[in-house]
Amino acid sequence: MSGALFHEQTARQRIAALADAGSFVELLPPPERITSPYLAQLGIPVSFDDGLVIGHAKIGGKKIYLAAQVGQFVGGAVGEIHGAKLTGLFKAAARDKLPCVLIIESGGVRLHEGSAGEIAIAETMRAIFECRALKVPTIAVIATDIGAYGGIGILSTCCDFRIMTEHGRLGISGPIVIEKWMGKKAYDSANRALVWKTSGGKTKYLLGDADALVHDTSEAVRDGIAKLLAKSSAVSLASVKARQKDLEKRLKRFGATEDPDAVWKSMGVRNIEAASLASGPEFAALAKRGK
Amino acid sequence: MEKFTKAFPSKPLPSKTAKPWALAGVVGSGNLEVMLERGGKPSDAMECHVETSIPGYKASWLAALADFAHHYPAGGAKVTIHDQGAPPVLVNLRLRQAYDHLTKGDK
Repeated sequence: MSGALFHEQTARQRIAALADAGSFVELLPPPERITSPYLAQLGIPVSFDDGLVIGHAKIGGKKIYLAAQVGQFVGGAVGEIHGAKLTGLFKAAARDKLPCVLIIESGGVRLHEGSAGEIAIAETMRAIFECRALKVPTIAVIATDIGAYGGIGILSTCCDFRIMTEHGRLGISGPIVIEKWMGKKAYDSANRALVWKTSGGKTKYLLGDADALVHDTSEAVRDGIAKLLAKSSAVSLASVKARQKDLEKRLKRFGATEDPDAVWKSMGVRNIEAASLASGPEFAALAKRGK
Repeated sequence: MEKFTKAFPSKPLPSKTAKPWALAGVVGSGNLEVMLERGGKPSDAMECHVETSIPGYKASWLAALADFAHHYPAGGAKVTIHDQGAPPVLVNLRLRQAYDHLTKGDK
């Protein structure tokens, strides 16, 4: 599938395109039928992999743990099985000291099995911090409009790095949720330009929430991953305090801003229209990052 | 939710396939996932397990599956389907995709 747009591929195609040819070994593959015990009770069909493909593979000859969420299956949302697979993968990465890469496509916790999903997300975060304490690199890739929201949005920011494309979106509450709470005047979820300028890959890169903004192809995502595979840093009290200060500064600077263009301008983007039309890497070159 | 199991007469699968199992499609609105596995019991029948969120269309399912078993040598294959309201034409497409992946490999 080389050359295909990354956001149009399925989870399994993405894994096949990122991993060295034939190197991916799936853990708990579909024939094992580890499926959700809750969905069946609600009359909702289950999926063989519960919306998450996990395993180990090689990228550029380097062994890693690799997972991809299936966004079309209940929005890629995390239920008990999906969450247990996610937790186990990061725990295995910590145990074997191998980098862990997660291709995200999820609205967060699956409401049909909410408590189990919430607990699984918390356990996965703990496993990610275990990895980081051992300097095992953890990387999240966010490359589709389903994006990373809710618990998965938070989880993605626990990883060492986030690689995004211009199609990716990252946040806590999704656009429709914000509109429901704040009103259409405050936030119009049908306004795609507004939605992407507040939660899209370009803005997240400008603000420093995304560490790389790459082309929407598997080759570019793969290159992005390969560059970050060797790096990891532990979470310390000092690093958390520094991050908190940064976020306070950001809130002070942009908290009252109603126009997302003003955020772009203030972050050094001169020509808003050119930047809007630019591809991810072009945008990264156009904008001077986080001065 | 409706569930049923049925075997359909079919010529045996090729003795060698590219993989022991293959998957096509996804459980999403108007879509389905189909898994084909080697190792179904009689080698002259295609064993089918269907789970669908839309009850009342068993006759259409049986017709679509019988048609596939008739046109493709799928004896000894176990077919498991999780459906969320796919139209019959898509059922046929996913079966063919899974069959191609099983016999010839992915892509």
